[in-house]
Amino acid sequence: MTVTPLQARVETDAFDLEKVLASIDTMAAQRPVAAQIVSVANSDDTSAKVLSRILASDVALASRVMKLANSAYFGMRGRVTSLQFAVTVVGFTTVRTMATVALTELDDESRLPENFWDVTTSLALASSALAPRFGERPQDALCIGLLAQMGAALLNHNDREGYAELVDDNPDFTARRVAELRRYGINSLRLTAVALEQWGFPHSMTSRLNQVDDFTSMEGGLLRSAFEVAARLTTEDYDTVPIVRLSCGQLREDDLVPVLDQVRADADELRRAMLGDVDTD
Amino acid sequence: MTPPIGAVAEQPEGRTVSVTMSVPDDDRVPPEIVSSVFYSATVSDTLALVVAEKVGGRSRITWGNVGAVELLGYGLDDLRALPVDHLFPTLGGGELKLLLRRERAARMTLPVRTASGATVEAVVTTTPSPNNRMWTIRILSTTSEQERALRATADAHERRFSTLTERSPVPTLLSEQGMRLAHVNDAFCTLVGRRAEQLLGTGWIETVHEDDLDTVIEQVSAALDGEEVETQARLLRDDGTVRTTIIRFAHLFTPGVGAGFVGTIEDITDRLAFEARLAHQANHDPLTGLPNRTLLAQYVAGRFVPGTGGLACLFLDLDNFKVVNDSLGHTAGDELLTEVAARLSAVVRPGDLVARFGGDEFVVVCENVEQDAAVALAERISVELARPVRLGGVDVRPYASVGVTVQTEEHLSAEELIRDCDIAMYQAKAGGKGRITVLDQRAREDARDKLRLVAELRDAIEKREITLLYQPIFSTVDGSPVAVESLARWDHAERGPISPAVFVPLAEESGLIAGLGLLVLDETCRQLAEWDRLMGWAAPARANVNVSALQLDGNLPPQVSAALERHGLSPSRISIEITESALMKDPDSAREILHQLRDLGVELAIDDFGTGYSSLAYLRHLPVNCLKVDRSFVAELAHGHTEIATAVIALARSLNLSTVAEGVETPEQAAELTRMGATYLQGFSLSQPLTGGHAAAWFAAHGDRTR
Repeated sequence: MTVTPLQARVETDAFDLEKVLASIDTMAAQRPVAAQIVSVANSDDTSAKVLSRILASDVALASRVMKLANSAYFGMRGRVTSLQFAVTVVGFTTVRTMATVALTELDDESRLPENFWDVTTSLALASSALAPRFGERPQDALCIGLLAQMGAALLNHNDREGYAELVDDNPDFTARRVAELRRYGINSLRLTAVALEQWGFPHSMTSRLNQVDDFTSMEGGLLRSAFEVAARLTTEDYDTVPIVRLSCGQLREDDLVPVLDQVRADADELRRAMLGDVDTD
Repeated sequence: MTPPIGAVAEQPEGRTVSVTMSVPDDDRVPPEIVSSVFYSATVSDTLALVVAEKVGGRSRITWGNVGAVELLGYGLDDLRALPVDHLFPTLGGGELKLLLRRERAARMTLPVRTASGATVEAVVTTTPSPNNRMWTIRILSTTSEQERALRATADAHERRFSTLTERSPVPTLLSEQGMRLAHVNDAFCTLVGRRAEQLLGTGWIETVHEDDLDTVIEQVSAALDGEEVETQARLLRDDGTVRTTIIRFAHLFTPGVGAGFVGTIEDITDRLAFEARLAHQANHDPLTGLPNRTLLAQYVAGRFVPGTGGLACLFLDLDNFKVVNDSLGHTAGDELLTEVAARLSAVVRPGDLVARFGGDEFVVVCENVEQDAAVALAERISVELARPVRLGGVDVRPYASVGVTVQTEEHLSAEELIRDCDIAMYQAKAGGKGRITVLDQRAREDARDKLRLVAELRDAIEKREITLLYQPIFSTVDGSPVAVESLARWDHAERGPISPAVFVPLAEESGLIAGLGLLVLDETCRQLAEWDRLMGWAAPARANVNVSALQLDGNLPPQVSAALERHGLSPSRISIEITESALMKDPDSAREILHQLRDLGVELAIDDFGTGYSSLAYLRHLPVNCLKVDRSFVAELAHGHTEIATAVIALARSLNLSTVAEGVETPEQAAELTRMGATYLQGFSLSQPLTGGHAAAWFAAHGDRTR
């Protein structure tokens, strides 16, 4: 069970969590196609046909799904030429994740914390690569990795200067979350979990977010380890934390070597697929 | 006790159920809350409902239904005083507001604390009232008995499935998404020699042979699209070896997740290798490794276009191979064949086919060559083959007779081409060993004519168109006719009379001699019986029947016996004539058969005596009655050479055998032979060969009692 340990907080006058949460609904209204996909993709009786028909009306999003389906990550080597097949290849959860990215404007880098997508792609790929070690579906792990920092983006959006300062002061992700809790009454991962739960993402996915900071939780171990990989790849002068401890003994340092290589190799392509071509956006 | 309020709710299935609600006396739930409950919730037995209100900065529970009382374990009064955050221990700090939203409904899955202090995992949905101070809270336990049972069943299914695939000897892949694998079993890891971690995700793609990858992806696409497909693909093992497999893909759909596939792999490497070995064995000679006759036929047939040219066949037959085999042994013979095969393969042009036709015969097939080039190749081959081979300490020069045929417009089929070069080879061999012969137009026509003649001979034998003439044989004692020799004649309807010197060897070559021999034997017996009937005691006492060397086997005595019996003749009426050379082919076997014939009671004569090289000692042990002095020795008499005829007659007398002098052309020869002591005479000057009818008349006129 996750227990949020710190009660003390310095809530800024400018920051209103209610407002942030309300903004999530407003966003949905602005991107109706993405919102519809987020809601439909969760249904048990949805199909690639239904999803692709909705997806087709958001050209930018559709082209990203096509691009992702043909990326090295899925190994299809450019064979995916129809949107319906692209949806089949990447899976419903991934389509939903991409719609969520569009919905929350995570594809607009001007509104994001510095380094956001470098960290996110590393996090997602590392999470996917390590998932089998934790008995989890790599696909879900990829998605949760892609969305994990959504809360950070929301915090940044609503408190740009304050959040930038907070990030500068806390380059380490764990310390940063403590600082977030102190400043906003909620940390960014928890905020992500709340938002995703609000949109009907399965609890099995969102609960991982809530357990990252519980070092005794193996369920949180995957994302915790993925954050470590992301930090090693994206944070300058990073002081590594032993992976054995972070992963509840599931991983050793040797195991990380191929994962680091693979993440480095695939990160750019995933980033391009998620953000779309610069000139078309 | 609080009076219950009965309410009726419509379930999704359309079933109507009663829900009993306890309502506090003094603080009635606003109607909008109650309606929101029914419009937003599916009511069921496991559904717990509470109402919360924010009073003085703290949210407290103000009401709960029976489900809530049962789930949470509080009495209703205790529940009514409970702060909401007490129910949700994980919502520390200010997080309760994440659940109790003023402007919209919220939903969270989180632990709910019960009266006992234990927690229950539940999906909690909150709906605010329009005044922003009250919330309806639905608590749906996810750990109900039914849920647990369902999950346990699902887990058991999952475990069964994973055990099945894990332990299965069939290499199995389970996709997660697209080409990405979520699972591989031990059998697949063993097949490709890699660990599961290296294969999951897209890692396994590296094990698929580059040239097969496109096809595999295509099949995966089809499987993801719902089809069941299979494909042959090579998989690369970690040690660099390649396994050929059949991968079968089945579609897999997980609701809410999407499509994947199950791949099962059958390793067919060994089976293919075995089949390839069998196919190779069926088409290749095991000794030399060269294509065999079957493959040769397929090869030529595949390239033969009637009415064109360009194909050439060289037919080689090793000269004296039998000598090597007989003198140095079969191992040396095999060694020689292997060496010849290697030399042939080395000397032909790239793209030419070298095949072992059988025994010591080889065929080379060339494409796009003229006759000159084919002959040049044959010469190169002859030179190359003639280099000495050391076999068992002896240098052997393997000369070959080579027949060459270049395809012409007259070749109607591939078989004709091969047959023609076979003919050419026989002509080369006949012309002396170590030669090269090209089958030209004339030779081809001759050969075809001969083939036609063979067919006609077969017909003639079947239709008994081969007739017999009978030449009388005379006693030197009184000049009376004592016997006849049966002579086969073939009067061809178109070609006219054909000499026995032509058709007997032809029958021997083409396997017709047995039929011909039987015909002569049977017709002779029939004629003897007819003469007996017509002439009584004046009929010829005996008929001599010639037997070919090829007839001299165990079948002959029963055939003779059957013919005699068929026509009711005594065995002494027949004398079997066998050439000296036929006896020498297999002397032991010949002697055995002669003894059997003799035991039947027939007479035996050695034909053409003196032309062969039989040893006198051997002759002495043969159970013969008569020697026939060859016509060539009789002819020599005219030139004063009496030595051999004298010697043969003297020899016969000293062995107590009778003699027949053949080819007596003049009365002088007859007188001379009589003087020398010959027993019988036969020849043109004495009597020509006669038909059966004429012979009857002739014997009636000339015959004395001869028996």
